[in-house]
Amino acid sequence: MEPVVLQSGTATPTGTANASAAGPVTTLPETISGALGLSGTVGDLVGGLIGAFLIANIMLAMTAVAGPWAKRKITAAFTDRIAVNRIGPFGLLIIVADAVRLLSKELIIPDGVDRPAWDIAPIILPFSALLGFAVIPLGSGLQLADPETGIVFAFAAGSIASLGLVMAGYASNNKYSLLGSLRSIAQNLAYEIPLVVTAASVIIFAGTFRTSEIVAAQTETLVTVAGIAIPGWYAFVNPFAFVLFVIANLAEIGRNPFDIPEAPTEIVAGYQTEYSSVYFVLFYLGEFIHIFLGGALIAVLFLGGPAGPVLPGFVWMVIKMWAFFLFTQWARSAVPRVRIDQLIEIGWKGMLVLSFANLVLTAILVGVIA
Amino acid sequence: MSLEESQPDTVESAQTTAEEIESLIGEYVLDRDDHLNAPGFVVRPDEVQDVLFRLRDEAGYDHLSCVTAQEYEDRYESIYHLKKYDDPTDEVSVVVPTPTDDPVSESAEPVYRTADWHEREAYDLVGIEYDDHPDLRRILLPETWQGHPLGQDYDQDRPQIVPLREHANPLQEDHKSDAGDTMFLNIGPHHPATHGVLHLKTVLDGEQVVDVESDIGYLHRCEEQICQQGTYRYQIMPYPDRWDYISAGLLNEWAYARVAEDLADIEVPEYAQIIRTMGAELCRIAAHMLAVGTFALDVYGDFTAIFMYAVRDREKTQNILEELTGQRLMFNYFRLGGVVWDLPEPREDFFEMVRDFLDDLPEALEEYHDLISANEILQARTVDTGVLPPEVAKSYGATGPVARGSGIDYDLRRDDPYGYYDELDWDVCVEDGCDNYSRLLVRLREVEESAKIIEQCVDLLEDWPEDERNIQSNVPRTIRPDDDTEVYRAVEGAKGELGIYVRADGTEKPARFKIRSPCFSNLQTLPEMSNGEYIPDLVAALGSLDIVLGEVDR
Repeated sequence: MEPVVLQSGTATPTGTANASAAGPVTTLPETISGALGLSGTVGDLVGGLIGAFLIANIMLAMTAVAGPWAKRKITAAFTDRIAVNRIGPFGLLIIVADAVRLLSKELIIPDGVDRPAWDIAPIILPFSALLGFAVIPLGSGLQLADPETGIVFAFAAGSIASLGLVMAGYASNNKYSLLGSLRSIAQNLAYEIPLVVTAASVIIFAGTFRTSEIVAAQTETLVTVAGIAIPGWYAFVNPFAFVLFVIANLAEIGRNPFDIPEAPTEIVAGYQTEYSSVYFVLFYLGEFIHIFLGGALIAVLFLGGPAGPVLPGFVWMVIKMWAFFLFTQWARSAVPRVRIDQLIEIGWKGMLVLSFANLVLTAILVGVIA
Repeated sequence: MSLEESQPDTVESAQTTAEEIESLIGEYVLDRDDHLNAPGFVVRPDEVQDVLFRLRDEAGYDHLSCVTAQEYEDRYESIYHLKKYDDPTDEVSVVVPTPTDDPVSESAEPVYRTADWHEREAYDLVGIEYDDHPDLRRILLPETWQGHPLGQDYDQDRPQIVPLREHANPLQEDHKSDAGDTMFLNIGPHHPATHGVLHLKTVLDGEQVVDVESDIGYLHRCEEQICQQGTYRYQIMPYPDRWDYISAGLLNEWAYARVAEDLADIEVPEYAQIIRTMGAELCRIAAHMLAVGTFALDVYGDFTAIFMYAVRDREKTQNILEELTGQRLMFNYFRLGGVVWDLPEPREDFFEMVRDFLDDLPEALEEYHDLISANEILQARTVDTGVLPPEVAKSYGATGPVARGSGIDYDLRRDDPYGYYDELDWDVCVEDGCDNYSRLLVRLREVEESAKIIEQCVDLLEDWPEDERNIQSNVPRTIRPDDDTEVYRAVEGAKGELGIYVRADGTEKPARFKIRSPCFSNLQTLPEMSNGEYIPDLVAALGSLDIVLGEVDR
């Protein structure tokens, strides 16, 4: 996190310059309170609540499609199977059936669990991910807040999930859970730093932490090939950083080949071994929202956010998030899991070095050009 | 090891004769008790180690294939079935009688480490005690079990219920060791990676395995006793299918067919042998496919494409086997003296079905190599993990792909030929890596070799003259081998050497039926492979052993 903080002093002046170029962004709560004719604290409160409710529900709806249905269908396609197709068109109503099934299961509370922590953990995971969406520009005016420290907030909110995993693992009174949560700490330590440092290189390019401005900075045309203007998305400007970020992000959200905190064949289900029913659903939801948050961060930092031709911005944002989801499922179906020591080695000896090299090079490059 | 290296020259050229052995261990020999398969020497219970050391070091009998224990009217008896890894047809049995009132015999564990579990089983089921054994506890039955079920005075009709509270509780409150910085972890009996009901008592130091102990017996179904209650002719054959139920049925049936045919001196027509060979190799492909699929599952951590592809290809062999035998899993297709019926009509369709499968197989295997063995992460995970040096593998009596993955060139299909194998052109697959990766490669390559065998069998069957299709020789309705005939025979099952010892007592049922399960011996090597490694490597090593608990526990 340190490099980011160091940069903030210099980022502000350029940030303001960019902001003035892009124009002020109207956030969703402002739009809502404006439409309702409210102003002041009441307007902020009502607009904020309705806006947050809306965004959270969009995300939860996406998760509902992804978890019980899309994940199965995608995995089935990778493994030569058909998957759910009995209930509703394309088996879509399995979502309803699964929701009922999961929610109506018995909530088993094992002996000796550390009660408040054990109950809070499954709530922390999905809500930390939802919190991250507060600053993500989803396009078509769907952005809850646009603070000056937007992208830092998103990372910080996403990282709270680790706390949930540790609580779950420690409070479960189960050795598999404990192993899983210890693994997740080791993994998050090893990959959070490369992740943030790589993001910092983008921030050097954009000169701002404000998510809306990072997106705006990517709208300029990079090159024009055969009449088609290629936008200056940072994935094109710095593909190396893009690859680093995607890999670190896989580890951050604990997907294959870095899904060792769960590692079903080794430590049963890791931190969520003892959870059932609603609590399990919350964990499951949390994981998927985290995948989508990871996808949203990649989209904002590297893929021009909601930018795209023809379709509205929000649709493009959703497409990009789902593309990342698809990528995680592809990795899940094709890549073996690495071992814990190998994972730590890749993180500390590989990713960290590369991400700092990338940061220094970017800083020099930007410094020379500017 | 210099002894072992210099010995084979003299051993391979000519088999050690009974006279040579007698002169070697003559001072210990009390009597002769020859078995159909090997000369047997009766020795004193307190001289077992001396005899076995001498046989191992000076005559080269480096493979303790099996330990059979049984109780007679007047005595207990332990039989050590010894072989050589260089020439498994060179066998010798060491018979150790002990008195009924004091059944104590010297343990063979210091000579062959595989004797550890075999003697524990003998103690558990028959009741012989072994002096000098490092850890003489029950192995298949619960600790609190009363009596020894295969003993003469055991009350078979009295049920015993062992409640959980009388067990050593696998969920103990505190498993802290005295040292304080290790953690005890129960892996199984219900765990995604134990391939059945296996319980691993694991001591961890952080993520690393300090010690692992297998606790087996959860799937003990008294298979030996069931076979002792069935008649030779028909009632035993259905059971071998159920030992290793991972589609290795015909391979298991062959183990019984071979031992019973040797015992009753039954000839098998050549045509039936070819059908048997073809069916057995189809089973081997099916078993190896599942082994590769589940190994990938253990290493990849999810039901990936590989598992589904492996199951898809296994499905094809099962369809063929269903056409051939009428069943998909529990075939019951072999009969003493042949097979139960001929190939299905129309024969052309069946041959086409098999050929289609064989034609598609190289492409499928190419895909497996692309997906699994060529994958860099998988190589990083499996190369040099779960190392099993050849000397250790031999000491534990490891056989099958586990031994061949440790560079031991040992395959009963070639070294102790049966069926039609010696007439066909195929190779034994050996890899020198001794690690998880080598065992995977051995299985993948063995699928190719099995395909080669099947193809040659189909060629032969296609051209077989119609009037010479003799599927069964003339076998009497009731088989009564002579009293006190003993034989130990093994075949190359999917997991390794599957042996059966039978003692006849002149009736139509065996007096003692002992199964030597390859998984039982192979599983013993797990601590050697995983101590000091990470948990994921323990899981990978267990997967690479390819055990079936039905066969381990019997």
